[in-house]
Amino acid sequence: MSSFNPQDLITRAFIRLRQSGFQLGVGELLAARQAVEGGFGETPEELAETLKILWCHSPSEQTQFDPIWESLPVNLNPKLPEKNPGQESKPEKHQQQEEKPQEKPSPPPSQETGTEIKSELELASLPIRAPFTPAETEDISTLQAYYPISRRSMIYSWRYLRRPVGDGPLNVLDVDATIEQTTRQGFYLAPVYRRQERNNAHLLLLLDQNGSMNPFHRFTRDLVETALYESSLQPEKVDVFYFHNVPAASVYKDLYLTEPIALQRVLAACDNQTSILIVSDAGAARGYRELKRIQATTSCLFKLNQYTSLIAWLNPMPEERWIGSSAEIIANLVPMYQMDNNGLSNAIDIVRGQPLQHLHSPLS
Amino acid sequence: MATVSNRLKFTGDFNAQPENPHKHSPTHPEPYIISPELKKAVNLAIYLRRPLLLEGDAGCGKTRLASAVAYELGLPLYRWDVRSTTRALDGLYEYDAILRLHDVQTQKVAPLPIDESQTDEDEDEERLNHNPANPKHYRKFGALGKAFKLKDCPAVVLIDEIDKADLDFPNDLLTVLDEPWEFKIKETGETIRANHKPIVIITSNKEKGNLPAPFLRRCLYYYVDFPNEKKRLQEIVEKHYQVREETPPPSALVENAVERFLAVWNEGGLFKKPGTSEFLDWLKALHTFEPKPYNAAQLKKDKLLPYRELLFKLQQDWKKYAKTS
Repeated sequence: MSSFNPQDLITRAFIRLRQSGFQLGVGELLAARQAVEGGFGETPEELAETLKILWCHSPSEQTQFDPIWESLPVNLNPKLPEKNPGQESKPEKHQQQEEKPQEKPSPPPSQETGTEIKSELELASLPIRAPFTPAETEDISTLQAYYPISRRSMIYSWRYLRRPVGDGPLNVLDVDATIEQTTRQGFYLAPVYRRQERNNAHLLLLLDQNGSMNPFHRFTRDLVETALYESSLQPEKVDVFYFHNVPAASVYKDLYLTEPIALQRVLAACDNQTSILIVSDAGAARGYRELKRIQATTSCLFKLNQYTSLIAWLNPMPEERWIGSSAEIIANLVPMYQMDNNGLSNAIDIVRGQPLQHLHSPLS
Repeated sequence: MATVSNRLKFTGDFNAQPENPHKHSPTHPEPYIISPELKKAVNLAIYLRRPLLLEGDAGCGKTRLASAVAYELGLPLYRWDVRSTTRALDGLYEYDAILRLHDVQTQKVAPLPIDESQTDEDEDEERLNHNPANPKHYRKFGALGKAFKLKDCPAVVLIDEIDKADLDFPNDLLTVLDEPWEFKIKETGETIRANHKPIVIITSNKEKGNLPAPFLRRCLYYYVDFPNEKKRLQEIVEKHYQVREETPPPSALVENAVERFLAVWNEGGLFKKPGTSEFLDWLKALHTFEPKPYNAAQLKKDKLLPYRELLFKLQQDWKKYAKTS
């Protein structure tokens, strides 16, 4: 136990976990140090347990923790006192690059980033292994789920799309106004009520369906569900229509594209306060650059523009993939954002126009 | 490390209650069988004074842990049940402006001079005579507020089912459960600073997806597993009856019941797995519902589980075990 240096090990584990996508801050590092000072990490096993409780916030993170922890040097030292120096130098070089510069040089770290160490412990001599490829461990989280935008952040973002209008029933007790009125009059007459506020924003969602959008149906479905049921928008103020590739003269009411409705009729319900959000990859998924598509999109956007200027485009493909495809050109016609947290938040900023004054005046 | 000896430590032994517990401490011992890992998590949370987030299936004993901790350490327990409309402020304090207005109207007396000696002590007491001239009479502290006000010991605060609340709730909570551990009451202009940082235990069912990352980062996390082991379940039964001071069911019945129950539990295919509390209810029914306890050998032979209604709460599960007969 004499060679066991928990503080050094914490820093190593911290850096390694952060590289693996754990969301940890300096506060967590300090907390771990404090825990060790308090006697919660006397042995490597105890320390591992402590860090797991402190730093892993889901069962899946806990399972990711174990291989990372086992790859740290201290666990190997007591079991493998002598190691082939040639084996060590290679991965060490790799580690040196990853570690932050302020970290103090420590006893020769026998860094291994792979998880395969475990099986090798049973072997008498270390065989020559294939060179380390970082891609192996790098992608664990990506393989589990490609999730550029979570449901939770969709709900958050939708909240910004609001146009509060006090036109509901007159049933909200305004405590402050009541007290103010009473103190002004010197006696109490009646409570002051104000109207219930409602979100008057009108959202028109146009979603590209099928074809290259197939992989993103999950996200578009989440987008519709959160807008309809978990935003502050009134469900009857959310119109969802589907199209394939380009919103043409008619769009569809259902996601199987069987109930067509003329775009003209859809737009008839719109005014200059309507927010239009189009979700489509605009050809970026397959990298096509078709003149026909661009022309059709342009004429459609032109039509939409006659009704409202609150139009934004969400593209599920990352921005670097737009280049060279029709998306690049369409992005010049309409504010287009890639579908992640920032993109959605920006798109919603566009479609809500400028923020409105709050209507909080007590009615008398 | 000199502080190790005199700091609070949770051992999981309900007989270890100190001589004179706080008056808000639970009065009944809590039969809680704690695993060494969970015990460590609790002690770590007590030591670092970070909130302990417990997740796990319903009925694994997440909520009970807080009272077990509070009872053993003799600390007051303040429970805050979160609802869909709960705001973070509700846990700190409520201010009854309408009552104050009402008092001004009804008392019709010249404002009494503020009696400072009366205002600062015993904040939680129900006050009969509110003085409208003193805004402090109209604030009422919530679970966290009470914990912050304690003078001589920390409190255990249970925030139950945090995921029921609004999206912003965990984030709002964070600003209070962090340095400098204080909040302001805008109506009275007071700043309430925690004398002792409370021990916060938070439970979550993961009903509405994940909690925000900044919140998670602050918390200690522990996933409470179902005690899926014959020995542990038997231990739970034993302790449970010991605390209640009731005669436990005959050991053969307990053993067979545990076996049957775990078989059902581990078989899979259930839409909603029964928890520990359901098991205890079921065992109680087996033991005392009929004048004579259920025959242990009979239970082992039975193809149809007796008192199924205590274990299965969904139609599909119910049907599944009706069919196997």
